[in-house]
Amino acid sequence: MSLFQRILVFCLVLLALALQSVQAQTSGWVKASHLKAQLVSDHQDVRPGQKLKLALHFIPDEHWHTYWQNPGDSGLATSIAWTLPAGVTAGAIQWPAPAAISVPPLVNYGFEGPTILVSDLTIPSDFSGSQLQIKAKVDWLVCKEICIPAEASFALNLAVTQTSVVATDYLQLFEQASQRQPKPLQLQGRYGVQNQKFSAVVQMPEDLKVSAFFVAATELVDHAAPQQIDWLDGELLLRQQQNTYFNQAPASFDLVLNTAAGPVLLQLQHESATQTSEPIVANFSLLDWMVMLALAVVGGLILNLMPCVFPVLSLKAVSLVNSQNSAQHTKAEALWYSAGVVLSFVLLATVLLAFRAAGQAVGWGFQLQNPLVVGSLAYLLFVLALSLSGVVQLGLGWMDSGQQLTQHQGYKGSFYTGVLAVVVASPCTAPFMGTALGYAATQPAFAALAIFAALGIGMALPFLLLAWWPGFSSWLPKPGLWMEKLKQWLAYPLYLSVVWLLWVYGRQQGLDALALALTGLVLLGAACWLWGQLQLQQAGKVSGLFALILLIGSVGLLWYPEPGAQQLKKTDHAEVWSEQRLKQLVQDGQPVLVNMTADWCITCLVNERVALDTDSSKAAMALYNLKYLKGDWTNKDPAISNYLRQFQRDGVPLYVLYWPGQPPEVLPQILTPDSLRQALEQLSSKQPLITRQ
Amino acid sequence: MKLKLALSLSALCFASSLFATPQVGQAAPAFTLMDSKGQSHSLADFAGKTVVLEWSNHECPFVVKHYSGNMQSLQKQFGTEEVVWLTLISSAPGKQGHISAAKADELTSSRNAMPDAVLFDETGVTGKAYDAKTTPHMYVIDKKGVLQYMGGIDSIPSAKVDDIAKATPYFSDALTAVLAGNPASPAVTKPYGCSIKY
Repeated sequence: MSLFQRILVFCLVLLALALQSVQAQTSGWVKASHLKAQLVSDHQDVRPGQKLKLALHFIPDEHWHTYWQNPGDSGLATSIAWTLPAGVTAGAIQWPAPAAISVPPLVNYGFEGPTILVSDLTIPSDFSGSQLQIKAKVDWLVCKEICIPAEASFALNLAVTQTSVVATDYLQLFEQASQRQPKPLQLQGRYGVQNQKFSAVVQMPEDLKVSAFFVAATELVDHAAPQQIDWLDGELLLRQQQNTYFNQAPASFDLVLNTAAGPVLLQLQHESATQTSEPIVANFSLLDWMVMLALAVVGGLILNLMPCVFPVLSLKAVSLVNSQNSAQHTKAEALWYSAGVVLSFVLLATVLLAFRAAGQAVGWGFQLQNPLVVGSLAYLLFVLALSLSGVVQLGLGWMDSGQQLTQHQGYKGSFYTGVLAVVVASPCTAPFMGTALGYAATQPAFAALAIFAALGIGMALPFLLLAWWPGFSSWLPKPGLWMEKLKQWLAYPLYLSVVWLLWVYGRQQGLDALALALTGLVLLGAACWLWGQLQLQQAGKVSGLFALILLIGSVGLLWYPEPGAQQLKKTDHAEVWSEQRLKQLVQDGQPVLVNMTADWCITCLVNERVALDTDSSKAAMALYNLKYLKGDWTNKDPAISNYLRQFQRDGVPLYVLYWPGQPPEVLPQILTPDSLRQALEQLSSKQPLITRQ
Repeated sequence: MKLKLALSLSALCFASSLFATPQVGQAAPAFTLMDSKGQSHSLADFAGKTVVLEWSNHECPFVVKHYSGNMQSLQKQFGTEEVVWLTLISSAPGKQGHISAAKADELTSSRNAMPDAVLFDETGVTGKAYDAKTTPHMYVIDKKGVLQYMGGIDSIPSAKVDDIAKATPYFSDALTAVLAGNPASPAVTKPYGCSIKY
């Protein structure tokens, strides 16, 4: 069929060419299958040095269509190959605004009905010929349900004279063509492709009521996917699923927007073209890795001092020193404990990597974004605290006064103490851990696992030192009766940890759920007390059963069906962070402080109290006209996870200071009351602010 | 509320990763389809062999272009024991390009084609699972069932036979690389042709 058609087209072309021996402003109609076409000039006589317009005029049969420069999921854009006299140049096709042609599940972009494709032709001023011979070989695909490709040649001969003469017959055609073209707008727009999404931001001071957009780049967006269009504070935000066949982001391309006032045209630049801070590319560097390993060991060491770990670990340390066992045995214990710690870290890393592989933006501390985990952890710490207070003896547990664990539980006990130490440590993402973890999350799997293992080694280090250099123990206080008192004292940090966890739980689940959890805590207290009575042989077996029922009941109370309505976040002098807001402020040349925080992050809260929400910091913010944006990561927010990742972080806190003309500066994770003021002073001495009028 | 939103969002992400588009380097979507001889074939049946999927529609000019000799010579060149070549037709009944089993066999013999089987995907489920958009549209799946190439048959999107010689043969290069145990480069290209008539 197509061969026959092609022969037919060629015959017609020959005929058309034969008719073109005379000068005319049209090539005459070329009739092909389901479409007729002509090439038309807007001038009948032209002069050297002028620009003229040529229109390729398509009239397809009813409901047949041809394609836009991005044809969409199938189809083929019309193309023109010009053959022109030396010096004469032709511009690209000035495409009319396309329409989306939906053939579920596919979408094409093209034109139904008569279509005019205009190109500019430039004649050099030194053009000497008396005739301008224009030849165009045009390829098109015309489709309804089926598609018919065609190729045809068109020829035009225009007289070259001293004065050009407009082709009045076709004025209307060119007028129509310009009406159908999208109106070019001088708007700045940038786009990026991340996480399988195309996103673009266009600076648009006035809302033009955009109803649809057309991306001229092929294989960039999933054409059939829904388009997300929002106008917010002078910016147009566009979003669409990325195309399955996407493989390279073009530096720039045309974007057509359907607005209330008709289609408009602008250019989108790739984000890398204007970005000041390079996005993090996970390139593996051996030196960085070694440094990070060392940092991770130090971070792990410091974990031992965290309030929620310290009571557990100090007891373990004391028991190790106290034990009457041989040095050999002590070494084995220390090794088993270390194995427990390291393995737990590696296991956590594996889970983290699995989540990462699943494309989830998961950060350290993600355990604490699950209310059930928060509640359970509060219960666990409460029971541990009760046992420290002496209400119940966890005879089979790992936190007994020390002797039992080492003597009765042996190596297994040591191993599980290590495991539990890590579980209990997880809420206390120490400042040193943040950096190492963020780094690990962007690294190849083996490097990430090694970082986590190093954290574990760091955490186990004091015990290994104790086992191998018993002299180290002289650094530790001598055991005695004070230990029992200390044990009871150590219950109180644990109770405080419980309060803090319950507060987080309340923020996540609401007041009602919190009341239920507190009721659960009372039941748990009763269960422990009964169990303690049983241990002292002051109660019968029934009490044990009752204790068990109470325990189950208390856990059941954590299954609060619906998370409570989110309370309004108090933002005090801060604005709520959003990517758009930050981008806007930075583009406006504003100094900006970004604070990424979460309710369960103690470091964050402390930093805010001592260093950010202070009068002196507020005064510094006012002095430098600093905008303060706060992002809340209490419940997992993918936008914030992405932002953290940009700074190689996988956890909060993160403080970033943006100063016009300077790369974003990351402030330390532990802020002092002077940190902000000093950083601002330094930046302003480097690059004084230009105050806006 | 926010938590609920975050949860449903992550559920959505998870769901979309389950049902979304195929990805090179991931397991190719499984399928079980009838061929023109009335025999059922599953992707799993071909474990240990490299599988080629070719979406086709015999009337589509882009398919006609490549069945002017190029497709047959590719089928012949790669017609070894270790390669299984499956031609798929996803045109729905009543839609253009939908053909009977007898017609499919007739086309195979009249075109001197050498696919191992011509499979019918009348529901379009398999085509959509592969995000197949055009005819022709080519896929290469390695011995382990991992998708290694998806996209166009070559680099020049046209219906002109002359362009075949000028084009970079993406599909042929990819299949050669995969058979040698190397990754295809490029592994994802723009498919071109007629839309599949789902």
